[in-house]
Amino acid sequence: MGTPCHFALFDLQPSFRLDLEQLATRYRELARSVHPDRFADASEREQRLALEHSASLNEAYQTLKNAPKRARYLLALRGHELPLEVTVQDPEFLMQQMQWREELEDLQDSADLAGVATFKRRLKAAQDELNDRFAACWDESARIDEAERLVRRMQFLDKLSYEVRQLEERLDD
Amino acid sequence: MALLQIAEPGQSPQPHQRRLAVGIDLGTTNSLVAALRSGVSAPIADADGQVILPSAVRYHSDRVEVGSVAKAAAASDPFNTVLSVKRLMGRGLADVKQLGEQLPYRFVGGESHMPFIETVQGAKSPVEVSAEILKVLRVRAEAALGGDLVGAVITVPAYFDDAQRQATKDAARLAGLNVLRLLNEPTAAAVAYGLDQNAEGVVAIYDLGGGTFDISILRLTGGVFEVLATGGDTALGGDDFDHAIAGWIVEQAGLSTDIAPGEQRGLLHAACAAKEALTNADSVSVSFGAWSGELSRAHFDSLIEPMLQRSLKACRRAVRDANIEVDEVKAVVMVGGSTRVPRVRTVVGELFGRTPLTDIDPDQVVAIGAAIQADTLAGNKRNGEELLLLDVIPLSLGLETMGGLMEKVIPRNTTIPVARAQDFTTYKDGQTAMMIHVLQGERELISDCRSLARFELRGIPAMVAGAAKIRVTFQVDADGLLSVAARELASGVEASIQVKPSYGLTDGEIARMLQDSFQNAGDDKVARVLREQQVDAQRLIEAVQAALEADGERLLDAEERMVIDLQMQELSELMKGSDGYAIEQQTKRLSQVTDAFAARRLDSTVKAALAGRNLNEIEDN
Repeated sequence: MGTPCHFALFDLQPSFRLDLEQLATRYRELARSVHPDRFADASEREQRLALEHSASLNEAYQTLKNAPKRARYLLALRGHELPLEVTVQDPEFLMQQMQWREELEDLQDSADLAGVATFKRRLKAAQDELNDRFAACWDESARIDEAERLVRRMQFLDKLSYEVRQLEERLDD
Repeated sequence: MALLQIAEPGQSPQPHQRRLAVGIDLGTTNSLVAALRSGVSAPIADADGQVILPSAVRYHSDRVEVGSVAKAAAASDPFNTVLSVKRLMGRGLADVKQLGEQLPYRFVGGESHMPFIETVQGAKSPVEVSAEILKVLRVRAEAALGGDLVGAVITVPAYFDDAQRQATKDAARLAGLNVLRLLNEPTAAAVAYGLDQNAEGVVAIYDLGGGTFDISILRLTGGVFEVLATGGDTALGGDDFDHAIAGWIVEQAGLSTDIAPGEQRGLLHAACAAKEALTNADSVSVSFGAWSGELSRAHFDSLIEPMLQRSLKACRRAVRDANIEVDEVKAVVMVGGSTRVPRVRTVVGELFGRTPLTDIDPDQVVAIGAAIQADTLAGNKRNGEELLLLDVIPLSLGLETMGGLMEKVIPRNTTIPVARAQDFTTYKDGQTAMMIHVLQGERELISDCRSLARFELRGIPAMVAGAAKIRVTFQVDADGLLSVAARELASGVEASIQVKPSYGLTDGEIARMLQDSFQNAGDDKVARVLREQQVDAQRLIEAVQAALEADGERLLDAEERMVIDLQMQELSELMKGSDGYAIEQQTKRLSQVTDAFAARRLDSTVKAALAGRNLNEIEDN
């Protein structure tokens, strides 16, 4: 069974810029039609199919909803699948990475909740900037190398925001 | 030979053709069954007009008592009267000891590592005890609704793990119930509340029951209930409040901490009464044996404060996981009897910055919501938009890797159904089997997580070490239950999988229990199995009929249609007889010949939704 590309599933053209509201609305419409609940009184085969379709739909939605995942997916569609491990050949960014990490460690040691809030805001701003840069570069198909570099940076910041949430949880003790 | 009359899809069926389904709240302290009747979802009362069935089961040598009568005997017959059995579901003997409370039961181990309770009727697993409660509710519902149930939606705490959910499903099976869906309690409450208030936006459900705590954050958008995040504690509830008061009594009365089981029950009963009295009074007098004293609400509040803080911490984490700010929560709904405690309402109100809602009876709201979904799942089509519940997996699912570490495969709060694949390879030449240990939890070390099961993969084609690429797919269904499939990619060979649940009943134990329940019910086993096969056949025929009426002309050619009609006719005939094996075989055959049709229907539905058109429009063309 061939799987349609995530974008096609939502009746969208592959692109980085996305109307998230529209995506959510379409998701809900599609979910209605394939959710196993709709087939609770149907045959076992239909139920199993519904389960598979729902899982695929959810996967597609999770991928498109999240900017770094969406960017990575777009690269994969063009035949440039990035491995998950971020082996960075990006000396310019390496410095920034180390700075982000050090700051996070300091915040943990000082248990500075207000500092964490500020850190989150700056992190979000940095992510927004990367998104803009990726959007700009994606429109020009020749700049694949830069696109890949940007996606790696996006992945790093995404992981960092997950770690910030973990820190918030630890500090909540 | 008359064909079964099936209402046309889209039209509501005649009342006497309505498919009977119920919602069941199988609670730690109290259980209820509710149903949708004449458009209103309400609990079903027993002969005495009582809707609440205390979750208490007492074993006599010759019979079983369930409910208030059983509960009343708890102090006098502690070994044979089981209370709060929900706390033992899906747990191991070690967990039970760790629960910290002095449970009066005599525990024995079973084949699996589940704690069996030694009673005057022999060793009973928590699953069997729960089944007794479900049986009473099923009988009550069938009597009130005037017919056999097509199925039930049974609620579980959102934070229940796979083992606890599976145990609940096993109990339902033993009780003769077809589980339409395992529904998370907060989601059920959200349904009841959401439909009642026509609510939109982000709501929080704070569900504090007798033994479990759940917090769920949902977004309601025009009939779609989307869980954003869920959290909780399956060992936190009103029972713990009782234990705190009991501890205070023991201290005040200068009693030794080594109390006889019967006395312990009496102590908890007094504690519970005091707790309830303090809902409406500033202080209450408490007596136990020769001692009596005064418990102030202020002191009670201080006793339960640590537990409340635990619940608030889970709330804050759920808000973070939902990726929202606290002030985005438009409403907070109180669910569960324990939310009657004034201090609970106060602290929750403080956290969310608004007065919690208690419009719908916190004891009934879960069953009411479950009944609404049950009605839809049973196939009673409703006019207008049906509700859609998008729930999440509450705990991360992962694997044991080298060094006793847990590697997450599916993170918590992922929307279900979900399927994720992970690739493995062999490490020895000619290796044909592999063992995967699956766990649930958030911690790094497997010793801090919950072991779910070990999956043994067999039949991997023998290859050089590292050459095989085995794709293992983890799938969590809409009930929150995990299943695993594995395939070697180069050869396409499907591995056979043997599941060894860590805290579940073995197949042998379930088979034995099913057998016992047939015997106890006085049913002839053969007759019972035949009936089940006839019911299955009927269900399939009805489903195929409905499918043919909706899409038969559009998606099948004349020859295909004829094949299906023939097999269906054959099955209808066989159903009237008593050859159970033949019925089963013909059911399989009908299922096989309608396979392709089912796939086409689903594809067509998806395409239609994509095209943004209502399915009815297409039929009109």
